[in-house]
Amino acid sequence: MMRSQTAPYWWLVVPALAALGVFYLYPVAQVLWLSVTEPAPGLGNYTTLYESQTVRNVIWRTTWISLVTTVFTVTLGYVVAYALAQVGRRTLVIMLFAVLMTLWLSVLIRAFSWVVLLQTNGLVNQALIAIGLIDRPLPLLRNELGVIIGMVHFMLPLAILPMYANMSGLDRRVMQAADVLGARSWQAFWWVWFPMSRPGIIVATLLVFVFSLGFFVTPAILGGGRVMMLSEYISFQFQETLRWGQATMLASTLLLGVLAVLAVATRFIDMKRLFGARG
Amino acid sequence: MTSREEKYLELKRAHAAGRMDRRSFLRRAGALGIVPLVIPAHMRPAFANAEELVVVNWGGPAEAAYMNAFGEPFTEETGIPVFIDGTGPSVGRIRAMVEANAVVWDVCDSGVAGAINLGPGGYLEPIDYSIVSAERCRPEFVWEHGIGNYLFCNVLTYNTEAFEEAPTTWADMWDVEKFPGGRTMRRNVLGGVMESALQAAGVAKEDVYDTLGTADGRALAFEKLEELKPHTLYWSSASESQQLYRTGEVTIGNIWHTRSRGLRNDSNGQFTWTWNQGQLTAGAWLVPRGNPAGAEAAMRFIAVAQEPENQVLLLEVMGNGPINPEAAALVPEELRADDPGQPENYDLMLADSEAFYSEYYDEVQERYLELIS
Repeated sequence: MMRSQTAPYWWLVVPALAALGVFYLYPVAQVLWLSVTEPAPGLGNYTTLYESQTVRNVIWRTTWISLVTTVFTVTLGYVVAYALAQVGRRTLVIMLFAVLMTLWLSVLIRAFSWVVLLQTNGLVNQALIAIGLIDRPLPLLRNELGVIIGMVHFMLPLAILPMYANMSGLDRRVMQAADVLGARSWQAFWWVWFPMSRPGIIVATLLVFVFSLGFFVTPAILGGGRVMMLSEYISFQFQETLRWGQATMLASTLLLGVLAVLAVATRFIDMKRLFGARG
Repeated sequence: MTSREEKYLELKRAHAAGRMDRRSFLRRAGALGIVPLVIPAHMRPAFANAEELVVVNWGGPAEAAYMNAFGEPFTEETGIPVFIDGTGPSVGRIRAMVEANAVVWDVCDSGVAGAINLGPGGYLEPIDYSIVSAERCRPEFVWEHGIGNYLFCNVLTYNTEAFEEAPTTWADMWDVEKFPGGRTMRRNVLGGVMESALQAAGVAKEDVYDTLGTADGRALAFEKLEELKPHTLYWSSASESQQLYRTGEVTIGNIWHTRSRGLRNDSNGQFTWTWNQGQLTAGAWLVPRGNPAGAEAAMRFIAVAQEPENQVLLLEVMGNGPINPEAAALVPEELRADDPGQPENYDLMLADSEAFYSEYYDEVQERYLELIS
């Protein structure tokens, strides 16, 4: 009975699925195919994962930077999301606007703004010298630190929004109940609020980590050529040296890595529920 | 109707009826002061039936400059309109286009790396040297599947206010005591990277490629690069290379002379460069295999772009050095100091060796990336 009622609606999904198939799945399949056929059929490209020091360095650096970015982004984002969940309506609108506004700015503009702020004679260094905290400018740019600052800034809205969505749906009365039952405020937060906000944290962590793994523009600009992450390396192999087999192998490895992260995550959490497919 | 127009119509009729060949038609129309911009299809030679010729370069001021220097003269000669696409014919895009059988470009403004990487793979039309003249190009940049388009160089570029005396050699760039400050070089090894390192180590210009041909020589170059690494930022886009100087992050480095020239002009001479020990390279015309306008039209375009007068125009606007040796004498006095093709500049420099890069590009590029990242 259920079937006859829902079946017609499935047809509404068909155009979207078809578009995905043609413009997404087909090219991805091509990438996978190239990675085992170019320049010669077989798994030759994948042996580089062990053999090439450069490739291992790039993968390790990408993972490390993504992890650090994720930790900082989710921590900072949690604070903002928590504040968003507490403030009154008027302040909420202003704060949400500020969060969303950074999403509307081009990633290039944001990266170059960080260059202006963080460079040797930039605003941040000048201010720190002026107030006497440091004597000589800190190297904030063209290194991993610069890349991480830029990436955290870029990712913050992506972390704040799902965590806020989760927190705004929580029942506040349980906090009052904790209060009434004699919990101190940190106890109420840690034992009651934090566990309830965990689904939001998990979504934000996944989102930011997966996004970071494939990040391109910010590391390229803020890293000064010395912080090469995976997507930049892939792009170089594609555009300049024409080693498509290598490039597609790394792209496939990245994709499999992301799928593995998601697979592990699903063992611990109910993905459907997280993304709102089940109430 | 004036008598001039009447005479022109008469010529046109004679040409259309086949009583006059195209060359004399154009010459006599020209004598009347009329240059037929678009020649009707039936009057064109076979190759010129193409509807348009798409020339791809790297955009910005190059779009208008190429149109003016090469596009318009080509249209005048053949009647084929030219469209300049400034989206950048990277090697990867050319390959993708040819493999997908969806070539929409006719002539690409690529470089040495393009000729080396794409030629052997069968992605390019061979240059037809019965139409294109090998003599009208510096011999170092004449290849089977590509030919030099203009000269540019990786030169020692520095901030004149940062040092007491001007640096003149790569050894000065490696001398961080005497010339303090950040360094920069290209992230792609094709940018005079290893060549400058070896010359800094004392290898003579003439011996650089012989030395690089040996494993010890390459090891020495990487040793020198490693030595300078703590002071070096590696640029990937040319505008990035300029920005590093403007922000003060870099005081001395190895960047394209066209960009050094831009820096100097914008800064009233605070930044400048020396041709000494510069690395000569060239933009290269490549024609993707199966280009839509046909190989012949593309070759004709390249031939038009070999005209020395046209190349001098590009020097004026963009600083691109004419690659046709005949052009050197045509360069106006005030531009000669900026022209890499003037003998007194050219002789100071070393040209990219196709032989070396065909054999070792993959290997040294990989090693270079490992070193810097």
